[in-house]
Amino acid sequence: MVYNPQYYPGATSVAANRRKHISGDLEKLREISDEDLTAILGHRAPGSDYPSTHPPLAEMGEPECSIREIVEPTPGAKAGDRVRYVQFADSMYNAPATPYFRSYFAANNFRGVDPGTLSGRQIVEARERDMEECAKVQMETEISCPALSGMRGATVHGHSVRLQEDGVMFDMLDRRRLENGTIIMDKDQVAIPLDRKVDLGKPMSEEEAAKRTTIYRVDNVPFRGDEEVVEWVHRVFDQRTTYGFQPL
Amino acid sequence: MAADIFAKFKKSMEVKFAEDYGTNQQGGSDIESKTANFLRLGPEQSPRKLEMIAAGKEIAKKRGLVGYNPMMHTGAPLGQRAITPYTLSGTDIVADPDDLHYVNNTAMQQMWDDIRRTCIVGLDMAHETLEKRLGKEVTPETINHYLETLNHAMPGGAVVQEMMVETHPALVDDCYVKIFTGDDDLADEIDKQFIININDMFPEEQAEQLKAAIGKTSWQAVHIPTVVSRCTDGGQTSRWAAMQIGMSFISAYNMCAGEAAVADLSFSAKHASLVSMGEMLPARRARSPNEPGGLSFGHLSDIIQTSRTDPEDPAHVALEVVGAGCMLYDQIWLGSYMSGGVGFTQYATAAYTDDILDNNTYYDVDYINDKYDGAANVGTDNKVKASLEVVKDIATESTLYGIETYEKFPTALEDHFGGSQRATVLAAASGVAASLATGNSNAGLSGWYLSMYLHKEAWGRLGFFGFDLQDQCGAANVLSYQGDEGLPDELRGPNYPNYAMNVGHQGGYAGIAQAAHAGRGDAFTVNPLLKICFADELLPFNFAEPRKEFGRGAIREFMPAGERSLIIPAK
Repeated sequence: MVYNPQYYPGATSVAANRRKHISGDLEKLREISDEDLTAILGHRAPGSDYPSTHPPLAEMGEPECSIREIVEPTPGAKAGDRVRYVQFADSMYNAPATPYFRSYFAANNFRGVDPGTLSGRQIVEARERDMEECAKVQMETEISCPALSGMRGATVHGHSVRLQEDGVMFDMLDRRRLENGTIIMDKDQVAIPLDRKVDLGKPMSEEEAAKRTTIYRVDNVPFRGDEEVVEWVHRVFDQRTTYGFQPL
Repeated sequence: MAADIFAKFKKSMEVKFAEDYGTNQQGGSDIESKTANFLRLGPEQSPRKLEMIAAGKEIAKKRGLVGYNPMMHTGAPLGQRAITPYTLSGTDIVADPDDLHYVNNTAMQQMWDDIRRTCIVGLDMAHETLEKRLGKEVTPETINHYLETLNHAMPGGAVVQEMMVETHPALVDDCYVKIFTGDDDLADEIDKQFIININDMFPEEQAEQLKAAIGKTSWQAVHIPTVVSRCTDGGQTSRWAAMQIGMSFISAYNMCAGEAAVADLSFSAKHASLVSMGEMLPARRARSPNEPGGLSFGHLSDIIQTSRTDPEDPAHVALEVVGAGCMLYDQIWLGSYMSGGVGFTQYATAAYTDDILDNNTYYDVDYINDKYDGAANVGTDNKVKASLEVVKDIATESTLYGIETYEKFPTALEDHFGGSQRATVLAAASGVAASLATGNSNAGLSGWYLSMYLHKEAWGRLGFFGFDLQDQCGAANVLSYQGDEGLPDELRGPNYPNYAMNVGHQGGYAGIAQAAHAGRGDAFTVNPLLKICFADELLPFNFAEPRKEFGRGAIREFMPAGERSLIIPAK
């Protein structure tokens, strides 16, 4: 019998979307060129070589090591890339992703990634070209909506702030905005101005965002309505509590 | 009650987001709208920021070295969204956000000063030394004489020795010693100025509990000068107190200054009869006694006095402890002692401003009283048995209500713009509610941890990185019998394993401890001596209303102690 990972409980669209994010079985909605991605990440000039912190592994004469033999290095590690980051903020007003599910997505589908999960942002650190691969998937697929998700390295607040009147998530540093029905970004992750306007694609409609989101909300899919998920949380709670009850 | 608090919460949202503050142009906004017009007016929209900008310019000019300049914020200055005020929960006081940083708030400073500069010293052991070893007579008259001497000496007045320098009384006028006892006959004999009268300060039933707990013992409530405590540390409190106590005994009882019995009196004051507010911390944190890291949640609950002034509203009692705890443990202990900086204020204020936690808690009170036959009312025979099923029911309803409130009121969500703020509020409400219903603080802790799990799964996010460690593993510690894990909440404190690094928790834990006992109608949480010691209206900070005091500090109406105006050039 073939094992099919279960990933996540729940009978609602939110639970189903969570399973999709974790599995990596995602719908591609838009395209972003490598040059544009490099520009908004802001780690190196578009078209330039990857800076490295050490020579390619093949040239380093590594010691004999069974672990090194078992674990195939990622392309970034092989080449000696720096460790760099991509970080997203996702609006609580039905952005497709939430921080934990971005982390589960990254950890389940990519090697050599170090996801960090906060309330208002989610970071993935990895060797630069490996990180870019992960970032590109997030930018191009249903994980992100250009209006409700934002690539932000610093000054990230916005996830819980009311939306702007045009439906775009607030950004103190105004890195991106709605122009002619599409979201453009003209500053990089840490708001250093770019020499170009990068087209991030069309915003999702309210209906589409509500359909694709992984956050429960009382005005869309209420958490209390997904009884299987609540029951599962209770089970985790029971088990952790009784596990700690050790009278010896 | 819950309806009134809900109305108060809505009013706080309207004050914050639907009325103009300074020149922020927020007037007329809808507190339930999901969108807003962000005017990006910058820091000048806030009256306090304007004052600070002017001060920064003046300072830079005067000293020839730049200082405060909000335009240095990378990318754009603060104020890209509206700068809005805070209502202190349970009050009508509206404060500027900056005025809730403890540096800008004298009431916050004084609350901590008043705790740090306090110790309790038993009198009975010293009296036994005087009577049995030296054959001296101890009577109410000699005690009164001793206390008169001590109230001269404790602030820094000289006794026994000649040609001693002394402190100026006007700089140390907040320093004094009173006594309290469970012996009504003795209390009647002591000069009224020196006594904390338990019968006067507490409701009758609580007074009986307290007197039964401390018996006929007698204790000194010592408050050394604020200015001394600020120049030294909490460990100095008992040393300063013991020196003046020893000298006053010598003087009042005509002892020989060098006789061996003095060492016994000194040992009694410094060790054997000493009760500190906080315990010493281990070397890796290296703090003396009477520093916040050693102040247990039970002790903080006993220091806060709402339990005697509003005993029929246990939710209110717990909320005042949460507020005081968040200020002390988050803003001062973790925010400054352990970390440094300004960010911790934002975490802490979430728990004591804008009536958001109050609204969640009073909703829970109604829910419990409806479902569990008045279990959230004061009493011992109305409590529901603490079980995982009860905890799950109450904490789940509390958390879901809180989450849905944030969802229905986008302004509340924007007010608590960080996940750690929301996690504090949701978990504190759940924990306090489970405590109130069961009278069991560890049931409350269980509720806290379940709330964290539910919150994380509902929104796919929780707080910052650290919440995952503390709040994911915490449930496994609640009922553990292993010594360093399963401690009752009352005896846990900021240095408890896993509690030592995370903002937004410790005030909640203190409130949970308090809720269990306030719900039962207990006169104290863990230590009756502390409860009585702080039942004293002469203290500069009113420990019965900490949230109101923080508000008074914010609007610059609070008068602190330890000021140095007397000895500095007049401005």
